[in-house]
Amino acid sequence: MSDVVGTAVRRPDVPGKVTGSARYAGDVNLPGMLHAKIKRSTVAHAHIRRIDFSRALKLAGVKAVLTHQNVPRVLHYGSPHPRSASLACDQYILDSKVRYWGEGVAAVAATSEEIAEEALELIEVEYEELPAALTLEQALAPGAPVIHQRKDNLVLDPVVVKRGDVARGFAEADVVIEGKYEMGRPTPAYMEPNVCMCQWDDEGKLTIWISTQTPFMVRGILAEVLGLPHSKVKVLVDHMGGGFGAKQDLFQTEFLCALLARETRRPVRLEYTRKETFLGGRSRHPATVWLKQGFRKDGTITARQALVTMNSGAYGSHGPGVTAVGTTALTSLYRCENVLLEGRCVYTNTPIAGAYRGYGVVQTYYALDIQMDEAAHQLGMDPAALKLKNAVREGDLSPSGHPIVGHGLEDCIRRGMQETHWPPPKADGAGALKRGWGTGCEMHGSSAYPGIKEQGNASVRMNEDGTVQLFTGATGLGTGAHTALAQVVAEELGVRFEDVSVVHGDTDVVPWDIGAFASHTTYMGGRAAQMAAAEVRKQLLERAAEALEVGAADLEIRQSVVSVKGSDRSISVREAVEPKKGLPSAQLIASASYSPTKSYSFAAHFVEVQVDTQTGQIDVLQVIPVHELGKVIHPVAAAGQIEGGIQQGIGHTLTEDYVIDEKTGRSLNAGFVDYKMPLSLDMPPIRTILLETAPDPGGPFGAKGVGEDPIIAIGPAIANAVYDAIGVRFRHYPITPDQVVRALRENP
Amino acid sequence: MTTIALTINGEARELAVEPYRSLLDVLRNEAGLTGTKKGCDVGDCGACTVLVDGKPVNSCLMLGVEADGSEVLTIEGLQPAPNRLHPLQEAFIRLGGAQCGFCTPGMIMMAAALLAENPSPSEEEIRFGIAGNICRCTGYTKIVEAIQAAGKELA
Repeated sequence: MSDVVGTAVRRPDVPGKVTGSARYAGDVNLPGMLHAKIKRSTVAHAHIRRIDFSRALKLAGVKAVLTHQNVPRVLHYGSPHPRSASLACDQYILDSKVRYWGEGVAAVAATSEEIAEEALELIEVEYEELPAALTLEQALAPGAPVIHQRKDNLVLDPVVVKRGDVARGFAEADVVIEGKYEMGRPTPAYMEPNVCMCQWDDEGKLTIWISTQTPFMVRGILAEVLGLPHSKVKVLVDHMGGGFGAKQDLFQTEFLCALLARETRRPVRLEYTRKETFLGGRSRHPATVWLKQGFRKDGTITARQALVTMNSGAYGSHGPGVTAVGTTALTSLYRCENVLLEGRCVYTNTPIAGAYRGYGVVQTYYALDIQMDEAAHQLGMDPAALKLKNAVREGDLSPSGHPIVGHGLEDCIRRGMQETHWPPPKADGAGALKRGWGTGCEMHGSSAYPGIKEQGNASVRMNEDGTVQLFTGATGLGTGAHTALAQVVAEELGVRFEDVSVVHGDTDVVPWDIGAFASHTTYMGGRAAQMAAAEVRKQLLERAAEALEVGAADLEIRQSVVSVKGSDRSISVREAVEPKKGLPSAQLIASASYSPTKSYSFAAHFVEVQVDTQTGQIDVLQVIPVHELGKVIHPVAAAGQIEGGIQQGIGHTLTEDYVIDEKTGRSLNAGFVDYKMPLSLDMPPIRTILLETAPDPGGPFGAKGVGEDPIIAIGPAIANAVYDAIGVRFRHYPITPDQVVRALRENP
Repeated sequence: MTTIALTINGEARELAVEPYRSLLDVLRNEAGLTGTKKGCDVGDCGACTVLVDGKPVNSCLMLGVEADGSEVLTIEGLQPAPNRLHPLQEAFIRLGGAQCGFCTPGMIMMAAALLAENPSPSEEEIRFGIAGNICRCTGYTKIVEAIQAAGKELA
């Protein structure tokens, strides 16, 4: 029986988005509001010798200026996760040292944005420049400039993962393949620039409207750094314009905005420009992966060894976590008993890399999947067949250390092969146009376990008219997560979807939540909501049983009607709970907490590309993504996640690279003209296939996450399709037209 | 400050604006219409698209004073009646054309301009029509489907 789950119900968050009434943090306008701007460094690595803002303060309309000299000096975590092992405590609100070009060095609050901008020009900063480490090589070289006060530029100690015996594994191999893979610096490029607004009341309570995925983490770290109890920090998030993982950090701005508001005793809005979302935002980690694998003639993998090096930029942020997750992921996807992996996360004097959809796995599976394709060609096997042969399956050890549930990956590969009649016939275009097909596979965990022991919470309340409210701390990034949670509650309770509404977005009201990330909202928050709804259902049945004079076990609830099983006696849910003469209305309420371990979702992407051998242009002609999700809660929203992830992944692979000048550390393309993302004309037809063959016992109705998966598999699928088209093996992203032309010239 | 007189969503308005203010900022601040979004402020993303005298413009690239005497239609003015949605709005809800929703107002206004000019556009014409509107969430597939469906409804 499934009335609500699995149907494309009308998402309640969307009407406001199509009419313009949806309120985003930057839409909040308060009387007397000031505007804040940040002055950013013009050098990559330096001590600030002198900073003088006396002229700025004299400008009419300027109300306050902050520098490292007049803000609290509190060392804090940039990524505000609960204290997991993989965090570096390395940031100050403002420091006397700058570690990358574009880092904030001062902030101004003024009566208009224009005056605040003018004031920035009047702040004089004298830098004592230091040698900068702008690349991984420079940062790892002996005698490299020291970016933080430690012995080397490693953010934390390397991650080492060992299973079996790689030396024995390589000795048993018939073929050994080794390669170095290099990944560029894509950025999430969410459409809504970072923004927050702060206001203090007379009791010393701070209210902050902010675009964040992690409101309770923002509350926690603001409270910690500003020395406030949690009860004095209220974080409000209604709608937000995307985040894709990156809006899990604190960006200096929240502290500065709060301090400016306190000093001026006025509300202050601090909104990034688009350029600042590049300079002061978070990118994916540029990375190198050295990877070596041994294979038997029949395709069995005998050993896998890797050195993963992630470029964290100037601060740790999510770097160690990304490194751990990306490195550990190499234990799996394709079965191998002998594994030796090392992951390093390295500081450089470049903008900060952070969390971004796919969290390190994008980089490492790009290398792994391309090398599988290389192996297939060396072994004389079909790439899809080789992947199918080695696909992880039921009972195999997953990266988190749990046994894999089901045969999701094999199912995805098989289904994609059927859909494409694999291997599809060669069909080159006219003249210089060559076509090819490629596959890419992935698996990704819902929840950040074991890196973080997470918890989802929910409260469910039934009102006296039978309508239901779910209280959740999960943030709505735009994925439709609140809709999915409401569907789970409606299904579990047996009420109509329209009768369930979601209360969210206010840390003073809703249950604590770790934040919306790690593909876990539906999986973990959904399970907590289901558990709370189950308890309310029990209470409702007890009350209805009295009214109907039967046992609760004899009742069922569907479509907001409570019926006696096997009879035509029924009452509506409303009739069951509403007050009657001599009987007050029922107070039906329950809360639940759920601490998951991990589940894995799977995907195989099948891609056709066309390469223009004269211009080097690569066009993706079609994508057939096959995803195994356990249980699809909302088919349109799930497919939308997949299509959007593919769009970002096509960008990563072919055009997107945030370029930092290797001489000066300046950012060279901080804007949408020069940072090229796929537009409507660039996107190919996508025929999404959703499978439910490996439901997870830990998710609501078997559901698993979907947010991150699609961005992982598309990249290697494209690179492998390019090889199929023109016989040139690229081991990096983005693969640009000039590189294609050069490669074809060198290898005619 | 300069005073401008214009029609916004069918209502005659007089607004005192700084001469350097973009139409986008005038709409969001002076007129109190925050449905129109600022994604880049330099004409690259299309999130701020509104119709000025029926033509789509990036309102961040037009000064408020330039809109003196014109008719401006923003996302807030697209609904035919308070409790009725425009077919584009309805299709975006039904077919998953909006995720985070930040590009949506500009996207829908651009689509409204497109359908006004070409009531039954091909997929290619739709993709060309919205090529200046960046969406980072959807991959465009469901946006194109929604515009197609709304076009059929309006035809």
